[in-house]
Amino acid sequence: MSVAAAETTVATRPGLVARLRLGPALIAGIMLLALIILSAVLAPVLAPAGPAVVDLGSVRLPPSADHWAGTDAIGRDLLARMLYGGQVSLLVAGAGMIGSLAFGTLMGMLGAFGSYWVRAVVDRAIDIQLAFPYVLLAIAITSAVKPSTGVLILLMVLAAWAGAARVVRSIALQERGKDYVKAATVIGASPFRIALFHVFPSVLPSLLVLAAMQMAAMIVFEATLSFLGMGVQPPTPSWGGIMLDGKNYITSSWWLTTLPGLAIVLTSLSLVLIGDGLQARTDASRSREGDE
Amino acid sequence: MSSYVLRRLLQSVIIVVLIAIAVFIVLRLSAGDPARIRAPVFARPDVIEQYRRDFGIDRPLLEQLGSFLWGAIRGDFGQSFRFQAPVMQLILDALPRTLLLAAVSLVLSLVVAVGLGSLAAMKPRSIWAWLSSALAALGQSAPVFWSGAILVLVFAVGLRWLPSGGFNGPSSLILPAIAVTLSILPTQLRVLRASMEASLKEEYIRTARAFGLRQSRITFVYALKNASLPLLTVIGVDIGYLLGGVIVAEVVFAYPGIGELALVALNARDYPLIQGITIVTASTFVVVNLLIDLVYGRIDPRIRLERS
Repeated sequence: MSVAAAETTVATRPGLVARLRLGPALIAGIMLLALIILSAVLAPVLAPAGPAVVDLGSVRLPPSADHWAGTDAIGRDLLARMLYGGQVSLLVAGAGMIGSLAFGTLMGMLGAFGSYWVRAVVDRAIDIQLAFPYVLLAIAITSAVKPSTGVLILLMVLAAWAGAARVVRSIALQERGKDYVKAATVIGASPFRIALFHVFPSVLPSLLVLAAMQMAAMIVFEATLSFLGMGVQPPTPSWGGIMLDGKNYITSSWWLTTLPGLAIVLTSLSLVLIGDGLQARTDASRSREGDE
Repeated sequence: MSSYVLRRLLQSVIIVVLIAIAVFIVLRLSAGDPARIRAPVFARPDVIEQYRRDFGIDRPLLEQLGSFLWGAIRGDFGQSFRFQAPVMQLILDALPRTLLLAAVSLVLSLVVAVGLGSLAAMKPRSIWAWLSSALAALGQSAPVFWSGAILVLVFAVGLRWLPSGGFNGPSSLILPAIAVTLSILPTQLRVLRASMEASLKEEYIRTARAFGLRQSRITFVYALKNASLPLLTVIGVDIGYLLGGVIVAEVVFAYPGIGELALVALNARDYPLIQGITIVTASTFVVVNLLIDLVYGRIDPRIRLERS
């Protein structure tokens, strides 16, 4: 993306639909994601067995015609577990994404439009949050409260809101200096009104990109925490949890870790493609290189 | 300039103290009674009371916080439940190995980001540009523990070239470092490529070209100087992410660092150890971030002037 392109998009500000021209990466990403979501939704129809059906007669079988993805250490069909696990992973990641975007947007707006002290507190909070390694945060919190799906989503929001807040704040700060905001101030609009009705629409395209990127990050995050035993708890299958089950057999039964991992990678990859495609189209400047 | 350094220093101290207080409160209020965790399951009430006195948790909360902070300042985080050793000792054993893995990964990632990112910016239609996009997308999508597992399967189980885990000399570093690098590379690669593309369009580059300098010299000497500034910011922002990746890699590769220690502490409900690890690691990050901020000011005179 070039600087010149960014300037023209901002200057002309065509409608959202006009800016959503689809590129090949975007189409590939959307199709892949649709396929993954569809297979998770249709898990009860597609899965050859229930995700918890134990068959001790067929333990750790490699992929075959009967079990396309093999079976795990207690003879459960891995494909079935991955399909049902997809439901859990996608839902949890979606909840984490929405939560972190909502909270991040609120904080980002406060960081741009709040009073001096509010802005200072938000700034520090973002700094602290970004400086803090999320895995350690998760370990500290799960050592205090029992891990559960609810706690996991809370952890996701805690870990990811600052990234969204930084982007929203930097865009809002840029917008705040522009003439239309000054004009709104002059005619007596309150900061709240300006933030919500004037500046927020400019943030929206970036939020769309952020949503895709955060969702990709949340898929990986859920998997990581569940893999470390701090996320979705057994027997509920999630992609990270299934990999944790297979961790001890990594040298003898490769499919138990690689295949669920592949599901994670493909899902996240589809979202990255969508995010990249959207970004190329909307040229939403996720200010990676710091703000001010 | 010096007032800026002083202000940043003060901020860092405040952040560390706030984190320490937050960790203390979260663990003390919600973790339950350390004496009950530590004492034998069917211990008599007077035995549990004895444990409480030993831990000092029979005193008022504020007094506990005070003595905890005073201990933390002197590097005394108490005894680990699990290892029966001073928490600080355990951390000092593990931290250097974690920092080593983090540093190696960071350097590796920077080398690849600068090399591949510059090539991709120079030749946007070459195989390098394609490779750089592919690596960025893959690295962003693949969890550290998955790429770690694949690396183990290929290079340790299949080819038997490298150890699958543990820590025995430099060869133990290779696979974990690659796994971590893959996860932190995407942001650096994208940022460097974008800033290099912008740099190469500048007037002074055209001038250099007109003087007949070789393109490789122009890119890696002249353009890189300006293009690397955003990269430095990204490193600062991603330090937490880097250490997060290192922690996960340590677990996958059974690498004896802070991450492994933290997970053992978590499973053993070893609160003093978790407390110590969280605070020491968080402080490390704050210090690293501070250093990067200060270095940034040194490298780019424009920022230095702006601040003074």
